[in-house]
Amino acid sequence: MRTFLSVIIITFTFFSGCTIDVKPWEKETLAKETMKDSGINPLNKKYEEHMYFSKEASRGGAGVSGGGCGCN
Amino acid sequence: MQLRVSIAAATIIISMTLEAEDYVSVQYLQYDETLNRTSVSAPSLMINKDFGIDYTLNANIVLDSVSGASETYYDGESLDSVSGASETSNDGASGASAFLRGKGLNAKDVEYGNIKYSDKRAAGGLSFTKRFANRDELIVGANYSTESDFYSKEVSAEYMHWLGSSKNSSLSFGLSYQKNEILVSCKENSACDAQSGASEKMKADVLNVQASYFQNIDTKSYAKVSLFYIADSGYLSNPYLNVIRNYKRGATADVLAEVRPDARVAYGTMFKYAYALRNDLSLHLSYRYYSDDWEIASHTVDSDLYYELGDEWIFKLGLRYYTQSGASFYNGTIDYFTDETYASSDQRLSKFDAITYKTSVNYTIAKDLSLNLGVSNYYQSTGIQATYFTTGFRYNF
Repeated sequence: MRTFLSVIIITFTFFSGCTIDVKPWEKETLAKETMKDSGINPLNKKYEEHMYFSKEASRGGAGVSGGGCGCN
Repeated sequence: MQLRVSIAAATIIISMTLEAEDYVSVQYLQYDETLNRTSVSAPSLMINKDFGIDYTLNANIVLDSVSGASETYYDGESLDSVSGASETSNDGASGASAFLRGKGLNAKDVEYGNIKYSDKRAAGGLSFTKRFANRDELIVGANYSTESDFYSKEVSAEYMHWLGSSKNSSLSFGLSYQKNEILVSCKENSACDAQSGASEKMKADVLNVQASYFQNIDTKSYAKVSLFYIADSGYLSNPYLNVIRNYKRGATADVLAEVRPDARVAYGTMFKYAYALRNDLSLHLSYRYYSDDWEIASHTVDSDLYYELGDEWIFKLGLRYYTQSGASFYNGTIDYFTDETYASSDQRLSKFDAITYKTSVNYTIAKDLSLNLGVSNYYQSTGIQATYFTTGFRYNF
């Protein structure tokens, strides 16, 4: 729980003082395919999440939608 | 002059952002573990179609073919007397289980080894995105999957709200509910007629809630922090895994099905950071902390580095490190359990570390067509080693 709260506090402290107002015409780099949250291949990302789900005891954080599996 | 340049640049960026993302992606996965453990072949298809700028439909389907073996305890003597085989097997397709269990068995007959199995899984998902005038997004989705002994249905909804007119930060809230049915053979496990194929339908539900905050930090980086809560309830044991209870060396032992609690509550946080080091080099870093009331806690650090060579090639190198503590009711030794309510010897509930090395390449062969190939290696301190290949193409239409 302590780790959990520390991450939240550090994150919000960081966001509150270290960001700039990025204008729409300055977002070319942020809009690149290689900067996407899901990577350049969302299907492969799903494969990876599925594999970790079946081999490890923890999950979560990658979105709420994923579907079930009898693999664990 | 400066204003004119800015307007022109803004027009380019906006038109880039609004460009339709209509594509078909076809992928194939081959996953193989060492020591003749699990092998998976999985072709999949994803279609994404925009309808104007306010609606998007996404559909995906995957067909898994799984075979191999997983390790557990079993009664070797009974197995030999029934089938004459030296290795147990589970045919998921028929629902029959050849895991012979029982009480007061001869301790010298208890073995720990591979249980063969094979199964097929078909899974599909559909999501629909609606964008509002302020560009907030509502995504609703449904997933369905079926195996010979497992059926799952899921519905989900997620709302993303932009904070401020500059659209540099947003809040998201998502929720999904999953209903699962599991066919369990020999649930009561003593004096079970494993050859009859008799089974009982058990249920397990999963509630998944996630809230995220996204922020563009500057023109080259953004960060996202998510908090999640997952509640499982119902039959959460693995119907194919056994434990040994009341082991008395040189005398008797009980080979029984593992028993896990019928509820599990987990929470965690995930922090993601992406930074364009150069115009052709992007770094993605993430950290996840997970904790649940089975006393499993885990830390995951993941990183991906993308390098763009010209307009055609994108190379990726990735490294992931994972570590978890063991569940309170886990023990892998043969003589530990007696009459505990919960007991499991599943290695996935043990304390271990894992590391993954990832490489992939993406080649844009034509304006609307790209090919990809990836190889990853997964090493777990329990001894599991796996290699998985992915290959496929994406066609923008």
